[in-house]
Amino acid sequence: MTMNSVLTKQTVYGAQFSAILDRLPGHGLVWVDRLRERAMEQFLELGFPTTRLENWKYTDVSPIRRIAFQPIADRVSPPLPETLRLQIEAYAAPRLVFVNGKVDPELSNRAPLRLLSLSEALADPEQAKVVETHLGQYVSTSDHAFAAWNTAFFTDGAFVVIPRGIVVKQPVNLVFVSVEIGEPRACHPRNLVIAREGSQVTFVEVFLGAGAYLTNTVTEIIAEPEAVIDYYKIEGESAYSFHTGAVQAHLDRSACLTSRSISFGGALVRNDLNVALDGEGSHCTLNGLFAAGSGRLVDNHTHIDHRKPHASSRELYKGLLAGDATGVFNGAITVREDAQKADAVQHSKNLLLSERAQINTKPQFEIRANDVRCVHGATVGQIDEDAIFYLKSRGVGEDEARRILIRAFAAEILDDLRVPALRDQMERLFTNWVQSALEAA
Amino acid sequence: MLRIRNLFASIDGKQILRGLNLDVHAGEVHAIMGPNGSGKSTFAQVLAGRDIYEVVAGELTFDGRSLLAMSPEIRAREGIFLAFQYPIEIPGVSNLYFLRSAVNAVRAHRGLPELDAVDFMSLAKEQAAGLGIDDAMLKRSLNEGFSGGEKKRNEILQLKLLDPRLAILDETDSGLDIDALKIVADGINAMRSPERAIIVVTHYQRLLNYVVPDHVHVLVGGRIVRSGGKELALELEHRGYSWLEAEQKAVV
Ligand SMILES: Nc1ncnc2c1ncn2[C@@H]1O[C@H](COP(=O)(O)OP(=O)(O)OP(=O)(O)O)[C@@H](O)[C@H]1O
Ligand SMILES: [Mg+2]
Repeated sequence: MTMNSVLTKQTVYGAQFSAILDRLPGHGLVWVDRLRERAMEQFLELGFPTTRLENWKYTDVSPIRRIAFQPIADRVSPPLPETLRLQIEAYAAPRLVFVNGKVDPELSNRAPLRLLSLSEALADPEQAKVVETHLGQYVSTSDHAFAAWNTAFFTDGAFVVIPRGIVVKQPVNLVFVSVEIGEPRACHPRNLVIAREGSQVTFVEVFLGAGAYLTNTVTEIIAEPEAVIDYYKIEGESAYSFHTGAVQAHLDRSACLTSRSISFGGALVRNDLNVALDGEGSHCTLNGLFAAGSGRLVDNHTHIDHRKPHASSRELYKGLLAGDATGVFNGAITVREDAQKADAVQHSKNLLLSERAQINTKPQFEIRANDVRCVHGATVGQIDEDAIFYLKSRGVGEDEARRILIRAFAAEILDDLRVPALRDQMERLFTNWVQSALEAA
Repeated sequence: MLRIRNLFASIDGKQILRGLNLDVHAGEVHAIMGPNGSGKSTFAQVLAGRDIYEVVAGELTFDGRSLLAMSPEIRAREGIFLAFQYPIEIPGVSNLYFLRSAVNAVRAHRGLPELDAVDFMSLAKEQAAGLGIDDAMLKRSLNEGFSGGEKKRNEILQLKLLDPRLAILDETDSGLDIDALKIVADGINAMRSPERAIIVVTHYQRLLNYVVPDHVHVLVGGRIVRSGGKELALELEHRGYSWLEAEQKAVV
């Protein structure tokens, strides 16, 4: 792709932006318009990343660059395929459902919480003040084109605030559905989750869809002192879709974030997950499972920034790659000068189901404090044929033996899902994925 | 039941079995002994259908049907069981889940209904108790972190649950302390029956004191160089293998 055509595409988005700005949520609030305009400038300046950038070395987004995605400004409610409907229903209330970037009041079921969508919050002067304090304060738009694009174009998303000391028992489900309607469209969900001091919440982001589209999502998570957040990201986009997602979490003193990221879908998927351990004694656990078959690329970039002393992080990402799929895991860990007693453990484990599948896995440590413990390990392997023979020698059939061993590889992540309904759902998705990977082999 | 004629098998072009002959009938217990590297495990794995070994020549039949084209899982379902010298560790698969998959695969082949988790659990617990295997071990990942003795007892548990017609036990006695040896030997003896044949591969007379064989064979250089009754094992205990290896060289 030449510089010129890149510029042309950018111009397309520049023109789109001017055309729809006044229909985007929060328009008229000076700070929102400024935030969007500033992000738009950054997006145009940055352009789509190329593989010359270290952070995008293995992930060529030219399939995204080549398409002029149409924006979504107004609510369009296409009829949803039955399979999507069933999948949405699998996530119980409280649930917010967004269809093509806009909250869908019929599919949503907010009881017993008073969940707001971001557009609703922006329309309420009281809530808008809270949003203003946080929105766009954590995620970086100066070096991440997709996050900038989202900040300029976001249409809606969830605005979740858990008041001080409150423990929310039910998981909060946020379901994002994209359905192709005519031309390829880009959907930019934007979420803001704030857990006030000492509160506890589990929230689940689910991405589903049908047809060809791009979901470019940004989530900002704020954990105040001693807040406990369990965050699930289930990426189950359609096989013809693109998914780029950035999550930026900010943890204060003794706050705890557990993230579980599961990626099953999408032709090209890039997940960025950044956590700032910005309070003494804060802790994050980042677990991930990504499974990709032929023609797919899944890239997980994580960054844990140890900023304050006595913070700890645990990370385990498991990649399962079949056919000619490509997987990327890049786990960056920064330990700042005064983040003494940092304790960071990172593991990347990968299973290649075919000789054409690839994984690029890389730890990236930058340690500027001296009293720290950092451990990392990466493995890449194939199915153990001795184990297959062992199972077969007990009467277990070839396919079943492979299924058992692939499931065993994912066990550390799947068995650790704490929401029963979610675990069942993931089990089904996983079983289907394995079945199609074996059939394709 | 098992008939082997002039069996030649190799791995990576290296000949391991060189003209092995053996007949095993229902109800019999055979012991196979022989020096390290003589091909005992190779023989056991070839019987179970391990495909890294190439059967270059010979006949291998089970109830009159050739095993050579039969996959390992079909052999297992038809009633052949191999207790591994080195059982494989499989993290992430619970022992119980594995056992149930195996038992149900074999039952389906025999036209029996599947056992559900509850029924299977009580069956497995009952058999496990007799082998000193506790619930925790049933729930742990298959063989992962099991001690040598625990792995061997777990093999015997599988033997009991799968109820094969031909069992090959490859050094199931090695690595066992006295008590565990007794437990395992009792487990094997309990499996002796007129319908079943058992082949034990061992280096030691001490197992054969408990599991008394009908026939003893000595494998050297990939073929059986001597067969006899249970006294042959005692003779080997005293004289070692060198005299047989020497005879072997003289013949070749
Ligand atoms: N995968 C392999 N590649 C090359 N050689 C092999 C392989 N497996 C076995 N062998 C060789 O085959 C020969 C027979 O091995 P086998 O394991 O059958 O012996 P064994 O009689 O069971 O010995 P032990 O008493 O030590 O268990 C040995 O020389 C061994 O090194
Ligand atoms: Mg051996």
